[in-house]
Amino acid sequence: MKYLIEKFGKINTSVLFLCIIFLILELIGHRHGETSIEDILFFPAFFGYVSCIVIFKIGVSLRSFLMKDEDYYDK
Amino acid sequence: MMIGALLIPFLPHIIRQIYMMALILLSAYALTLGFGIHSKIDVMDFEFIIFQSDSLTLPFAIIFHIAAILNVIYGAHEKYWNQHVAIMSYSGAAIAAVHAGDLFTLFIWWEATAFTSVFLILASKTQRSYKSAFRYILIQVGSGMFLLAGAILLMSETGSAEFKNFDINSLYGQLIFIAFGIKAAFPLLNGWLQDSYPEASEIGTVALSTFTTKLAIFCFAKSFAGTEILIIIGAIMTFYPIFFAVIENDLRRVLTYSLNNQLGFMIVAIGIGTELAINGAVAHAFAHILYKGLLFMGMGAVLYRIGTCKASELGGLFKFMPITAICTIIGAISISAFPLFSGFVAKSLIMSALGKEGLVFVYFMLLFASAGVLHHSGIKIPFFAFFAHESGIKTKEAPLNMIIAMIIASTLCILIGVFPSYFYEILPYQIQYQPYDFSHVVGQLQLLTFAAFAFICLWHFKIYPPELNSTVLNSDWIYRKMIPGVLLPLLILIHNINKKIEQLIGFMFMHIRKFFANTMIKNKVFDREVGQDTLIVVQLFIILLIFIFVWKIYL
Repeated sequence: MKYLIEKFGKINTSVLFLCIIFLILELIGHRHGETSIEDILFFPAFFGYVSCIVIFKIGVSLRSFLMKDEDYYDK
Repeated sequence: MMIGALLIPFLPHIIRQIYMMALILLSAYALTLGFGIHSKIDVMDFEFIIFQSDSLTLPFAIIFHIAAILNVIYGAHEKYWNQHVAIMSYSGAAIAAVHAGDLFTLFIWWEATAFTSVFLILASKTQRSYKSAFRYILIQVGSGMFLLAGAILLMSETGSAEFKNFDINSLYGQLIFIAFGIKAAFPLLNGWLQDSYPEASEIGTVALSTFTTKLAIFCFAKSFAGTEILIIIGAIMTFYPIFFAVIENDLRRVLTYSLNNQLGFMIVAIGIGTELAINGAVAHAFAHILYKGLLFMGMGAVLYRIGTCKASELGGLFKFMPITAICTIIGAISISAFPLFSGFVAKSLIMSALGKEGLVFVYFMLLFASAGVLHHSGIKIPFFAFFAHESGIKTKEAPLNMIIAMIIASTLCILIGVFPSYFYEILPYQIQYQPYDFSHVVGQLQLLTFAAFAFICLWHFKIYPPELNSTVLNSDWIYRKMIPGVLLPLLILIHNINKKIEQLIGFMFMHIRKFFANTMIKNKVFDREVGQDTLIVVQLFIILLIFIFVWKIYL
């Protein structure tokens, strides 16, 4: 635990623990989604994690052609 | 409120603040009059319905009044009167527009919101803001022109310009749809939003984020509820601004992309059109005005103290501005839709409506967008402003009035989240809905914490690239760069061709003149002495030719 906090920081470790707690909660109770796909075990967790990575990846790849100099419109 | 605003320049500072509050409360008193038509004016056989209220106008009117009060408190440190006049008239115009009963009355207030709000952009007094304000007013007035054209067509076809549900398949319906779509920042029509709002003053952006776009949402809810194309448009709106927000450096501009994305949620809900969905759209607009205003207030406070909102230049401000930071974090948590905060109780209605209608693909687009909201508004805004790296900037906490406004907005965000049943009572339809069930709460918490954990991993392992001073291209590029880039060379080309043709004609005439001049000298055909007869013969011959030509064609 101490190692984790040293390596990962206090806030980051607490987020990690929250993630684990919410996964355990799903095992305790019965969660069902608005659609049947969401009923798959840990689906929202998986979807949230992957979405964030995908958004980041697409965002970064868009940098090359959407990002211009700060004075682009003033030229 | 607009008439009352005229007095503002003549009042001393403190009295002005009290006076503005009194004006808003006086306007709010009208909300107690109940539903129905309360005021009409007959002008040249046309009945302008000035003030009508129903179950849809009430929640918008309530939140517009609350936002107006928060704006007055937030801007209380500003001693000069011009922004106060603009904010009061802008709020008044938006509230009046919500209560308009016919399209011509709506048009008047529609344009009034544009002409009053432009002063908030001009208030920045920078070269960029002047240019941006000019583009803003052109587009806003353009939107009004579409509305007016639609209203005139409607009037000529049906004999009435009542502000009601319109058919999207009719021409007038399409014109009105475009007018509303411009103000609601539809895809490719959204450039003005990201262009102008971040150029406004720190007070101005808070007011701007409240009224214009939400007025458009109200109009859609009133006139185009259940129009299926709105589901597609809204889904696109929720989706694509996320990527722009992720790479944008100016944090107020990030918030405008986020605003665009949130409008998408409302548009999808209006497109569904069921009672649950309309309630969701209205609830989301209500909650959104508060948390988005709160986020803009937080960034406005940073801008006021430091003079910039660029993520690349900020960081480590938490120890200097802890209250601003906490309030911004509350706004960020609310917009991310964490349980017990306003975003959750509003967004749940829309997601449930989508689930009930079986719109699975759109549902997952919105779920994806929810993770995106957490990424760019929930984490990026507070993280880059108040934490991230040490920027070395030393400053002090925001002025007291700003703090009060932020605390009130934060409290409202939490109260709505904790007591949703009271909030649901002011929505247009009375429905039984419980956002806090095990599935909703656990599912949402898993989605958000894991999305946050993904961000943490990206940042911790230094995969997340540093923010750079840059301009991110948006749809305003079309009229700021592409059209001038294509049109200008085209105009130069036309000008050059025109010049060449002029030169050619001039050259030809010069030679013709020379030819005739040569024939008029002594003993030539047109010699003045002998040429008179020749000229008469030639003229007669030409007349004969014309006569034969006309005779051949027409007879």
